[in-house]
Amino acid sequence: MKEFAFVNAPTLDSAVALLGELGEKAYVVAGGTNVMVDIRVGKRNGRTLVNIRDIGALKGISLQNDEMRVGALATLSQIAASELLKEKAPCLYMAANVFADPTTRNSATIAGNCAGASPAADTAPSLLALNAIAHIVSAKGERQLNMNEFFAGVNRTHLQPGELITHFTFKPSKSGFIKLGIRNSMAISIVTAAAALELAGDVVTTCRVALGSVAPTPVRAKSVEAALTGQRLTEELLAHAAERVREDISPIDDVRATGAYRREVAPVCVKRAVKLAAYGECR
Amino acid sequence: MSMHPITLKVNGKPHTLLVKSNELLVNVLRDKLFLTGTKYGCGIAECGACTIMKDKRSIMSCLVPAVVADGWEITTSEGLSKGDKLSPVQEAFVDLAAIQCGFCTPGMVVTATALLHENPNPDEDFIRDYLRGNFCRCTGYVAMSKAVLAAAAKMKEEAQ
Repeated sequence: MKEFAFVNAPTLDSAVALLGELGEKAYVVAGGTNVMVDIRVGKRNGRTLVNIRDIGALKGISLQNDEMRVGALATLSQIAASELLKEKAPCLYMAANVFADPTTRNSATIAGNCAGASPAADTAPSLLALNAIAHIVSAKGERQLNMNEFFAGVNRTHLQPGELITHFTFKPSKSGFIKLGIRNSMAISIVTAAAALELAGDVVTTCRVALGSVAPTPVRAKSVEAALTGQRLTEELLAHAAERVREDISPIDDVRATGAYRREVAPVCVKRAVKLAAYGECR
Repeated sequence: MSMHPITLKVNGKPHTLLVKSNELLVNVLRDKLFLTGTKYGCGIAECGACTIMKDKRSIMSCLVPAVVADGWEITTSEGLSKGDKLSPVQEAFVDLAAIQCGFCTPGMVVTATALLHENPNPDEDFIRDYLRGNFCRCTGYVAMSKAVLAAAAKMKEEAQ
């Protein structure tokens, strides 16, 4: 194994102090599904691992005053098994249920999935669609960052050295998520799409649509949202609105698919995500 | 490279060890405790050969620095049998020939055991989905899926 130093942070206070001291040298680790792999393949060298795995304050999934709170250390297994999220934020629940495999889900955490900032991070489009807030702490104090402002580029976020995500909050919302992978298991996505809607009758009053694997960061599909908002949700409207996603994405060719293919399937994914959000199924 | 003292309970037996910061749990199990059932496969959390159980859940030991496992109680494939008596999952893998070269088998059996803890009444789809992170390059999974179904039936029978 490559060399690395290690410190344990048993409490939130100790983690904040350690991250403040270590600055850019620190590499926060919990489940290790990204971090340990990055170290193994030599992507990150000479860093000090700060283990936050056992910090109780960063765990748990709960509903308080009609607001969902998901702890940074909530594992993908816990999200995938959460009846609360199934009801209050189906898109996140669905994303967790197609994430990697059950064993990986037992270790992987939601904050790790986001902080790794893969363009293909399965939980990210749902957090964008839910307009989720990341709650962040450092030695300088606390701050909040909307997940729509969180990602800076491939594997880059707007988290500063010394900062730690403590939890995410968002309002419950009718929502849906769909992932297109090259196969069903252990697949890194070709395209993912999440949608969160509010309907008055069959009129879309608010809507947010976000996609993964189609740009350097997860992106909102603002053109689709504009085409849907204020309109009656019909098959024709949805078909027309979903096509506009091509204006919102900038997919590249990679080992999983070509950019051209992604442009073809992105509208289909958008359509299905919106249907899942509106009707709970792709009918 | 600093050394860290850890205590680790493996298959019910406590161990006190001195480990390096960058020593992985999978290597400690194999090289220090000589529990070589757990395999080092890909080393990057793709193949599932290093799967162990903690709190009745499957996790990959190639992702865990040994120092992180300080205080853990874990089960490896060696801990599934009771003396010479194989566990229902192990027995079903033998009876239904769900083994070929054997490299993936310990991880597969551990994941299957965690599966049955989570859902004692799985159907074929559930099993296929659950075992999807454990790669086998020779048997082709059908016998394994059947073995897990057989183990579930056996466990239900034994519980009655």
